[in-house]
Amino acid sequence: MSDIKEEHKEFMTDEDFDQDFFKNIERRSNIWKCIQCGTCTASCESGRWTALKTRSIVRKVVLGDLSVLDDPDIWLCTTCYQCYERCPRDVRPTDVIMELRNYATQRGNISPNHRAVVGYLKNTGHGVPINDEIRQRRIELGLEELPPTLFKFKEEGDDEDLKNFEKYMFDLPPVKEKEEETGGE
Amino acid sequence: MVKEKTFAFFLGCLMPNRYPAIEKATKFVMKKLGYEILDMEKAGCCPAPGVFRSFNKVDWMVAAARNLCIAEKLDSDILTVCNGCFGTLQEVNKHLKQNEEHRIMVNEKLQLLGDYEFKGTINVRHIGEVLGYEIGPWGIDDMIVRKVNARAAVHYGCHFLKPTRIREIESSEGPTIIEEYIEALGVQSVRFKEQLTCCGAGGGLKAYSGDASMTIFGEKMRNIDEVKPDFILDICPFCHLQFETGQDYLNKNKECNYDYPVIHISQLTAYCMGMDQEFVGLQYQLMGKNYIFGEKEMKKEQEVV
Ligand code: SF4
Ligand code: SF4
Repeated sequence: MSDIKEEHKEFMTDEDFDQDFFKNIERRSNIWKCIQCGTCTASCESGRWTALKTRSIVRKVVLGDLSVLDDPDIWLCTTCYQCYERCPRDVRPTDVIMELRNYATQRGNISPNHRAVVGYLKNTGHGVPINDEIRQRRIELGLEELPPTLFKFKEEGDDEDLKNFEKYMFDLPPVKEKEEETGGE
Repeated sequence: MVKEKTFAFFLGCLMPNRYPAIEKATKFVMKKLGYEILDMEKAGCCPAPGVFRSFNKVDWMVAAARNLCIAEKLDSDILTVCNGCFGTLQEVNKHLKQNEEHRIMVNEKLQLLGDYEFKGTINVRHIGEVLGYEIGPWGIDDMIVRKVNARAAVHYGCHFLKPTRIREIESSEGPTIIEEYIEALGVQSVRFKEQLTCCGAGGGLKAYSGDASMTIFGEKMRNIDEVKPDFILDICPFCHLQFETGQDYLNKNKECNYDYPVIHISQLTAYCMGMDQEFVGLQYQLMGKNYIFGEKEMKKEQEVV
């Protein structure tokens, strides 16, 4: 746990990093209006069980503390929007966290499980692809064996859309070495 | 102008690929209600607002816009049965209609994917709000053939109502839309502690940290178990998955003994409109396999005093 003084002391800069980032967040989510009231943390449905401290994350962003991008806690948000709804200053913390995750992803901070989901999307057009059991179940229910989505067209040999999708969408940076060593989750 | 009484049916991932019975039920219900349901060929993942938006917000918007374009070509509003799909598609649709800069940016990237251009001609609708407001408890009463005499724990989930400034459906702190609707189907909603909190699956958390997700969910189940409902009623296949696999997980790992059937609003409505229990699909689910829907069924006529 860190209090505000400590955060000041640890103010960080990061030369290789796009400093535009805080400006972007400011534009999209009124970050400077935060009065550190703690309503977000108090309402946080994840934070009551996990290490996620929404108020402190917002504070770090205001102070320009880039360590927040390596903080695994930003991945504990369920996007329940409770803080977004209740913040008296309209900071929209959920959007702030989403923005942070975008930047964290660019730095390669992305869990192996999340990488896998991106792989499914690129491969099948679905974050959750179909399997044999469900194909069978669909037939039993009187539905077409495959829904008329990208995957069905790929199966039928018409995979141009999916190929473009794979090529142009959701490019992720390579796996960090550290992650490879520990094998992640 | 979009076609009346017609929807482009957006399937998403979890419904067609995990809970096809919800798809079956939704089609049954919408057809009986007199809607035409159109296939959205080559649609894909919405993409999910928790995971994919976290990685790249621009690509998330582009992929969503691609799905929206498919419905635009059909001149039809989109119908979704999932809070996640609704969250993504409704938000991106609204945002791109309002924000010209982003619309131009998204359209440029869309060209790389195929013959797509976002025009902003349609709206995105959620089954909860189509049934709850457009049909309404007053309208469904004429359309059903039987009522289910049961007590349900209603789970709204997060993205159906929130953010309220974007969704503009109802207050997120005290909604009644689903309760009022299911009352017309003979189902009483039982209040439980922290009813409106998250199921713990969203935001990519289920994939990122199963433990954290299950801890949040564990509290949810404790609160539901206190009021002993007949089933859990949801309006989202992702919450549905969490309630199904989550109960199973708690039983196996946390010495719990839950067996609450998990029922989507489409499944409940379809049953009341006359679809056989076998198509409701409880036999395919993990929990409440032996639950007989409508065991304590009320005849519609008996209702009339
Ligand atoms: S609720 Fe809003 S104003 Fe209060 S600490 Fe959180 S972000 Fe800041
Ligand atoms: S949206 Fe995220 S940070 Fe905000 S209350 Fe919900 S879980 Fe916490």
